[in-house]
Amino acid sequence: MNPSGAHGVLEQNGEEHISTPIHGPSIHSDNPQERIQARRLRIAARLEARRREALGEYLDGKKESEEDQSKSYKQKEESRLKLTKLLLCGTELVTNIQVATDIREIHRRVEEEEIKRQRHEKLENEVKTSQDKFDEITMKWEEGKQKRIPQDLWEMLNTQQQHCAGLIEDKNKLISELQQELKIKDDQYVKDLKKQSDDICLLLERMEEQVKNVMKNFRQELYHIEKAFEAERQELMTSNKKKWERALQAHNAKELEYLLNRMKKVDDYEKQLNKQRIWDCEEYNTIKIKLERDVQILEQQLQQMKATYQLNQEKLEYNFQVLKKRDEESTVIKSQQKRKLNRLHDILNNLRSKYIKQIKQFHEENQALTSDYKRLITQFKELQKAMRHFALIDEEQFREIWLMNEEEAKSLIRRAFDVDQVISIQHLGLTWTMPDFWFLKNVGPIFQQQKKSATQILEEVLLQTEEEGAEAATPDTESYLDLPKQISAKTTKKILMLLCDESGFLIESKLLSLLLPLEKSECYLLRLDAIFSVSPTRQEMTWGEKWSMSSQHCLKEQETLEGGQEGRIVGREPEEKEAPLSPRLIHPNDVLKVLEAFVMGLKKPKDFHPPPRIQKYGRDNSKDSEYWEALTTVIPLAKLNLWDALYKALEKYHLVLTQRIKQLMENDTLEQQNTELQSLLQQYLQSKVNSELQVPPTQGFWLPAK
Amino acid sequence: MQEPPTAPTTSQSSVSQGHLTTPGQGSNTGLQYPKSPPAPGQASTKTKVPPVRRMRRIIAEDAEWSLAIVPLLTELCIQHIVKNFQNNPILNQLLPEHQQKVLSHLSPDLPLTVTANLIDDESYWRRCCAQRWPVCHVTRYGGSWKRMFFERHLENLLKLFIPGTTDPSVILSLVPLCKRYVRRIQVDQFLPPVQLPTTSQPGDQSDSGSEGEGDGPTQDHYQLGDLVAGLSHLEELDLAYGVKDCGMNFEWNLFLFTFRDCQSLAATIKACHTLKIFRLTRSKVGDEKARILIRSLLDHPALEELDLSNNFIGDRGARGAAKLLSHSRLRILNLANNQVRAPGAQALAHALEHNTCLVSLNLRLNCIEDEGGQALAHALQTNKCLTTLHLGGNELSEPTATLLSQVLSVNTTLTSINLSCNHIGLDGGKQLLEGISDNKTLLEFDLRLSDVAQESEYLINQALHANREAARQRVLNPGHFVSFINAKGPQNSVR
Repeated sequence: MNPSGAHGVLEQNGEEHISTPIHGPSIHSDNPQERIQARRLRIAARLEARRREALGEYLDGKKESEEDQSKSYKQKEESRLKLTKLLLCGTELVTNIQVATDIREIHRRVEEEEIKRQRHEKLENEVKTSQDKFDEITMKWEEGKQKRIPQDLWEMLNTQQQHCAGLIEDKNKLISELQQELKIKDDQYVKDLKKQSDDICLLLERMEEQVKNVMKNFRQELYHIEKAFEAERQELMTSNKKKWERALQAHNAKELEYLLNRMKKVDDYEKQLNKQRIWDCEEYNTIKIKLERDVQILEQQLQQMKATYQLNQEKLEYNFQVLKKRDEESTVIKSQQKRKLNRLHDILNNLRSKYIKQIKQFHEENQALTSDYKRLITQFKELQKAMRHFALIDEEQFREIWLMNEEEAKSLIRRAFDVDQVISIQHLGLTWTMPDFWFLKNVGPIFQQQKKSATQILEEVLLQTEEEGAEAATPDTESYLDLPKQISAKTTKKILMLLCDESGFLIESKLLSLLLPLEKSECYLLRLDAIFSVSPTRQEMTWGEKWSMSSQHCLKEQETLEGGQEGRIVGREPEEKEAPLSPRLIHPNDVLKVLEAFVMGLKKPKDFHPPPRIQKYGRDNSKDSEYWEALTTVIPLAKLNLWDALYKALEKYHLVLTQRIKQLMENDTLEQQNTELQSLLQQYLQSKVNSELQVPPTQGFWLPAK
Repeated sequence: MQEPPTAPTTSQSSVSQGHLTTPGQGSNTGLQYPKSPPAPGQASTKTKVPPVRRMRRIIAEDAEWSLAIVPLLTELCIQHIVKNFQNNPILNQLLPEHQQKVLSHLSPDLPLTVTANLIDDESYWRRCCAQRWPVCHVTRYGGSWKRMFFERHLENLLKLFIPGTTDPSVILSLVPLCKRYVRRIQVDQFLPPVQLPTTSQPGDQSDSGSEGEGDGPTQDHYQLGDLVAGLSHLEELDLAYGVKDCGMNFEWNLFLFTFRDCQSLAATIKACHTLKIFRLTRSKVGDEKARILIRSLLDHPALEELDLSNNFIGDRGARGAAKLLSHSRLRILNLANNQVRAPGAQALAHALEHNTCLVSLNLRLNCIEDEGGQALAHALQTNKCLTTLHLGGNELSEPTATLLSQVLSVNTTLTSINLSCNHIGLDGGKQLLEGISDNKTLLEFDLRLSDVAQESEYLINQALHANREAARQRVLNPGHFVSFINAKGPQNSVR
């Protein structure tokens, strides 16, 4: 049997399991057999554990439930088992009848078969014998036919009859037998019927009994179960009651304890209360006394206060009166003010209307003035134009006058030189050389060209570019910077701005912060100023170099930015540079030129070009007098002295000569005196202008020439 | 409706029939009530009150007058409806509470033509049933009183039908009324036609049973074909061709299932596609008839149970049944108390080997003997479906028991085996005990009166008890059944 075997193994396992901790074979033992044994045990233990795990839940659950509701559960199980048994037994009892009838039926069938078989045999035998007999009889009939003797025939017939009778009797006997059997069967049938009805009755009885029994049992079991439950409940109740009582007792004891404690505490508190009361009484008395005293003081104070109160009242009444009066006054004033207010409102309205009117008026006036202003501006412009025109004309005139004067002076000088030459050569016998003076070469008015600082230039440039948009008409091409033609002012400006941005390192951070709020152009200006002022000792040239370097550097950057575009631009005509194609671009070649021009422009002497903006700066006429002075001193003093000495000598000579002439000519003179006097008179009358001449420059020359 | 055919109108007044069939609908009938001179006796007493009074709600001069006495109009209407229900059945138009009232007052004697398809209320049909039959076991009819009423009504009609004398329309007229409710026809008696001139001599009586088939149409019973064709919900046919309570008038002729009966029945069950259970018992069905019937049942779409117990079916019939097993979805086969012998049992066993539908097989009181028993046992080794097997009273002995014990240790579907009234013998009992000790599913094993030693029978019962407990536990908590078997097994074996 398998389960028992398993159980045996189980038991064994269990035993081993128990025995292992005590003296189990160790895996580490030296004996190999023991080791094998130990491993086997371990495997078995593991299997066991796994199996128990599987079982565990169920068994545990069952155990728990058994413990939980042991009594009722047991009772239920018991009654269930009992009832199932009862039902089984009952059904068995009931079905027993069926089974019994079944087996009876089988037996009956078997018997019936047997009897049938026997009957068949019997009948067959009978048929056989009767056939034999019948054959015999029929044989005998043949024999009888041959019989001739009546006696024999009679005898034979008799025997034949006897035989037939025997046969019939046999048959009858068989029939009666069969009928007997049938009767018996009928009886049997009736009996069977009875038996079956009995069986049915028994079945019914048993069924009823079974039902009753089962009912009874079920009731009983129910009763038992109920009782069990009741008992369990009772038990539970008693246990709970006990617990309850115990708890109650404990509670009571605790209550008592609490009560005692409380009483003790009450006593304590009472004592304390008494003490407190006495203390309070004393304190109360002291306080009362103190308070009474206080009350007295306060009463006094009250009196005082009352007095002051009355005083105050009077005062206040007086004040009240005063205030009333004031109030009245104020009401009056108020009304007045109100009236005034109204009046002022009226005035205000009037003023407002006036104001509006005036606004209108002023507006009109403003319009008129603006128109005037415009007109004046136009006039001013015209005036300016005229002024410029006049300036130019003046300049021209000045120039012409200058030139004229110069011409005159120069001619005079030339004459003087000629004279000098004549004198020195003819009179003195000396070789004469043409004195060389700078002013002799000068033609036209002298221009004082100041050297401007870089910043000024820059400012100019910047302003120029700024103005460019506005007054494009002004011809700026002749900038004294004399930039190369292809470099526009714009590019210059760009370069400067670039420089400004790039060389920001030269500017102090403070300055930068100060520059921030300024305008753009101003900002640039100041920046550049700062940059240039960093190293004032340096020459502009170096500046320029540096500048060019830095700008080159910048341009390199730009080159990198612009990329291949550059190459194309190089080939362009300078005019196109200004085209909007690349306004931002500054060609590297241009840059150098610009810078060079810039620097060179600064250094170049201003010989050739007349000042383009004379009107702006005015003319420096400090050198004019010098110039003219110089012109006067073209004949040096020594020469003059020589001349003077010569003159004196010549005069003396002349004197001699004249005296000689005089005498020679005294006759002639006297002859001609009359005519001469007449002509002289007339000459004097006519030449008043000569007298008016302040400086007769020709006097000197005139006399000798005369 | 107005003309009930030949219904036995009991006490309904024909007077009211005249004027109420005209327009009377719902409440109108109630309003007409006071004006018309009513015929029913009970109402006439009330209407003697002068009509003027009826119009008044308060009658000061009458001290006994109170409004409560006056029945409500709805009450009156309901009474009237109840009274004239036969002629003018009004039910579905009423409110539910009024319906209830009407139904509770309707007489159970109303003709079925009126009530059959109109009333579904169970309480009404309960009253009808209670009135006609003293014992009513409603659970056998699916808890439906209406179904019970119609089935029993039909049964009564069929029981008392005498071919040739009773009009067949009596039954056929019922078909449209009851076809929705009848699910089972259970008739244990079919009366033969009455033979006015008793041609059969007393001498012939004994052997007329054997010649009965030759008697022709005169012995035919009622042909169920038309009836069954009309019943659309029929699921069960339980028939027994015989006569009950014949007493001393017994004749073999009375218990005669003729060929024509058989053929018509076969055609009937073949045509009835809803049939699930077919029982034909105690009808002397021989091999030929059984084969006719079974042939008609081959490939039947719904048949689940076939009961041919208490007949004369031999091996050929059993072979036919075996064929049916493989050609249908039969779940229960009952051939108890027939004449099946070893060859028939072998045929059944062969069919059983590969069958996956049959749950129960009953071969009680046959004579299959060891040969058949062994064949069946062999078949059970491969079969995985059969749960109940009854082989009581089959002359089985030890060899079958040996084989069966092997089957028991292998099979896990069988729950009930009956081997009572056989000659199993002591050794056979021991072998069976061995087999059953390996089995965990068998719940019933009947070995009464089969010469088994008491000890082994007792031990077998113990094992069965253990199995039953296990099965119970399995039902209660399906998760632990394995462990339970493990836990219980050893204990039982120790006992």
